This record gives sequence, structure tokens and C-alpha cells, in this order.
Amino acid sequence: MKRWQMIKLGLILAVYTIVGCVGLAFVYNSTSKTIAQRQEADLQAGLREVFPKATGFTPNNKVKSANPKVIFSAAYTANGASGSLGIAVKVQGASYGGPTTLIVGVSSDGTITGVKILENKDTPGLGANAASKTYYVDKATKTTFAGQFTGKKLTDGFVVKKDVTAITSATITSRSITNLVQVVGKAVSDVLGIGGSSTGPSSPGLSAVLPSADTVRISSKAATSSVPGVSILETSVGTKAGTIVGATAKAKAPSYDGNVTVLVGVSTDGIITGVKVLECTDSQGSPILAPTFAQQFTGKKASTPLAIGAGVDAVSGATLSSKGVTALVKATAEALVKALAGGGL
Amino acid sequence: MKRLFGVFINGLIIENPLFVIMIGLCSSMAVTTTVANGIGMGLALTFVLVMSELIISLFRNLIPESIRMPIFLIVIAAFTTIMDLEMKAYFPVLSKSMGVFIPLVVVNCIVMGRVEAFSSKQPVLDSVFDGIGMGLGYTWVLIALSVVRELLGNGTLLGSQVMPLSFEPMIFFILPPGGFLVFALWMAASNDLRRKLLAARKPEPTQDSCCTLPENGSVEKV
Repeated sequence: MKRWQMIKLGLILAVYTIVGCVGLAFVYNSTSKTIAQRQEADLQAGLREVFPKATGFTPNNKVKSANPKVIFSAAYTANGASGSLGIAVKVQGASYGGPTTLIVGVSSDGTITGVKILENKDTPGLGANAASKTYYVDKATKTTFAGQFTGKKLTDGFVVKKDVTAITSATITSRSITNLVQVVGKAVSDVLGIGGSSTGPSSPGLSAVLPSADTVRISSKAATSSVPGVSILETSVGTKAGTIVGATAKAKAPSYDGNVTVLVGVSTDGIITGVKVLECTDSQGSPILAPTFAQQFTGKKASTPLAIGAGVDAVSGATLSSKGVTALVKATAEALVKALAGGGL
Repeated sequence: MKRLFGVFINGLIIENPLFVIMIGLCSSMAVTTTVANGIGMGLALTFVLVMSELIISLFRNLIPESIRMPIFLIVIAAFTTIMDLEMKAYFPVLSKSMGVFIPLVVVNCIVMGRVEAFSSKQPVLDSVFDGIGMGLGYTWVLIALSVVRELLGNGTLLGSQVMPLSFEPMIFFILPPGGFLVFALWMAASNDLRRKLLAARKPEPTQDSCCTLPENGSVEKV
């Protein structure tokens, strides 16, 4: 009798569920088309906003995100009257209150043509001001937070509170969005082959990290590091009037949730002559690119125990990235000292 | 008719779901940072509440006592999803700005509480009026909260600048502590009015309708 009762209740519940589901199916059928159209229209409007002069957009699948936490959900080549104008990428990444979605346009000459915020779930009145059309980071020129990226060169630092104005009381949102824009800029410049990115192959900073040398040439032999994870991409040797005065190396290692690439210069007496953080794909890592952080290493001996708290100050808001960079600088400098001592360059 | 009006008016002040029964507070705190969100959320909840009360009251004799909760939930969830889809299709901006709080109407205590305490025992028409009354009672509170919070916290109303530009927005009001403060002040005002209304009503013997209502919701904190 009791079992019958249970089966009966189960059946009643099933009937209600089926009726509910059938009803939902009808509503879904009638709205799904409109919803898809809305999203498509949103996307088209966003693309047009970042490339107002484009005559059309064709999907582009060559642009790839360098950071697994930053998802490129779509990329389009903007077609103008005379060829491609640039690339627009729909990008999604984490922000303060959940994922945020942007469209970032990058022109063929290496400038940001526009940033449009499609979705942002951050605190209304604070982080949500990123998407507001009436919140100005510069009231005089009526520049919105997203608007300030328009016309920005990819070679710029993209450091919040330096060359990017933060939203008041929403530093995390500001950083997240800036970082997304920067990741897109980097990826697009790789695809378009613009050398304008700060990580360009020409490495203009070589002499900057080894100022004592008058010529710096790429070494045929590369320095190697024994530290796991650290890969030295390029080794150069600096000479002054024919004598070797030091060496530089471009090295890459995994950091917090992305990768960092640094350029380190070391003199023959084992002193770090200069450091440049070329790239950091950590999700909150962009502040690390500020030159003030890298300058701390200059003049320190490679053999000293370099660490955050021991002679090196972390960049606030990016402690883990600071640690990653410091460890990488230390490993690279040591590898260079070893290579210089061994005369292998 | 008078009875239905009594049921309707009940939810506005006398048994306001937020100020008197005090359920469903979390979403009310979260969405009231802008007036548009407050109105949107209020109307969305009213829709779900009215429809769920209507259906459940209609089938109240066909719902076995022991599985009433899952059945209520199925009905509420179905209407919430319908509303979510409709909003995505026709009010995409509002739907985006309210984000996760729309699907969360499913577990909003007000809906569950009213369905359980009222419409599962009352006739259809009464249930619909209860739904409208409770829904509007919820909506006006959200609007009252969000007007203060948006005006003081952001200097705007419905997104357009109201305060002079020299006014520095008090971000405190946008944040949860400010929300609680505004909520408490409004609650004090509303409950003072409620006490006066109840005092004025007592001598009248004709007002039997509202007084014969069971202890609605007040014991039902789902």
C-alpha cells in the first residue's frame, strides 16, 4: 500500500514536471530567435562602434589568446574601402563581480580603435561605471573609461593609474579591463606582424639594460638556466671598444596564471645593469610592467638572494606576479653570470 | 469586492513582504542600486508571484500534501524561466544589468512563502489579488530604496544626472551597508504608518475580511 502511494506521488510529480517543461519549450521556441537576433545585433553594433568606417566584417580565426584565462570568443577582420582596417576581437575575462566581455578593435597601424564593453557584472555605481556612458574619467574632455583607450598605441604601458586612468574605487575592474585590452592588442599585433608591440622582435631595449656597452649583438651561443620553467629565448653580448662588458638575455617563465618575459642585462662583474619587464599575461599582472618595478634590480649583484621583501618591493595588487618576475630575473642573471664566466658567449 | 480589495491592500503596508514579513531581503538589497533595476526586479517578481499563485490556487485540490513543495518549485521555476527568456528577448538591457538575480527569483522566499501560506488554501481570485498586492508591496519598497540609493550614491535617477555635477556621490549608499541603512529608515517609516492604520482599523467591525486571514506568512520563513 505504501509503495503504491509512493509510485502515485512520483507520477503526479512527473505530470507537473512534464506540463511545466512543455510550457517552457513553447516559450523557448518563441523567444530563442529574438534572443539570438538581439545578441547578433549587439555584436554588430559593437563592431561598428570600434570600426565606424568599416564596410563589413569577416570572421578571423587566426587571433589566439596568449593567456588561458582570457577567452577570445570571436575575432573579425574589419574591411574598409581599400583593404583591411584592422581586427576586432570579442574577448572575455574575469573581473571583480564575474566575467566581463568586451570588443576591442586594433587598427593595422598598431593603435586601439575602440573598446566597447558588452557585459560587466561589477558593482553598480563602482565597477559598473566602466560600461557607463556618463561616467567620465576625464570630465573636461568627456572621456569615458573605455573611451580613453581609443587612439592608444600598443607600445604604451597599459598600466592602471599611470597611462590608464582608473575608475574611482574600482581599481580591480580597471585593471581587469586594461589587461584584456592589452592581451588583445598583443595577440592582434602578432597576427598583423606589427613590430609596435613592446615585445617586438627588434628588442629595442637591449642597450637600455646594458648601458655600458656601445654595441650589443645577438650571441650565437645561448645562456641556459638550470632553474625549471625558465627558458632563455635570446642571448646577446655587449661590447665596448671590442671588449666584452656584459651580456643580456630575454627569458620567459610561467608566473601566477600566465607567463612573464623579461630582458635582463648583467655586466662582467656580476652586477645587474638593467631589467625590463617585456610582457606579463597574468590576469592582474599589468602593473608589473611599470618601469619603477624593474628599476629596483639595477645595480644589485646577481649572486645576492633577490626576493620580494629582500631588497625588492612588490607592486601592490600584483604580489604573485612580482614574485614570479623576481625569481625569473634572478635565474636569468645567474645564467648570464655563468655564461660570461665560462666565456661561452 | 471589498474582501478582494482588503487582500490586495494587505500586501502594500500591513503585511508588506519586505518590511513586515521580512523575507526575500537579499535580492532587494542587491538590485536596488539603480531605480531601473528596482522597477525591473519588482515587476519581474510580481509576474512570477501572480502567475504562480494563480496556477497553484487553481490546482490546490490536486496537489498532494506530501509533495506540495516540489510541485510549488516546479511551477515557480517554470514561470521564472519564462520571464527570464522574455526579458532577454524584449528587455535585453534590463536583463543584463540584473544578471543572476532574475533566475534567483526561483528561490525568492516571498514567492514560496505566499504560495505555501496563501494560495495553496485560498480561492483563485483571492490568490491573484494577493499576488498583485504582495508584488506591488515588494515593488514600491524596491523603488523607495533605489531612489535614495541611486540619488545619493550616484547622483542620478533612472540613469540621468539629477544632482548638480559639483555633488560628490556618496558611494556608501551604493554599497551594502548604505543599503541596510536606507532599508531600516524606510522600514521605520512604513511600520509607523502600519501601526496607525491598524489602530484606525480596529474599531470597525466590517473589516472582517482581512482579520479572518490566517497568520499569513508571518510564521513562514522559508
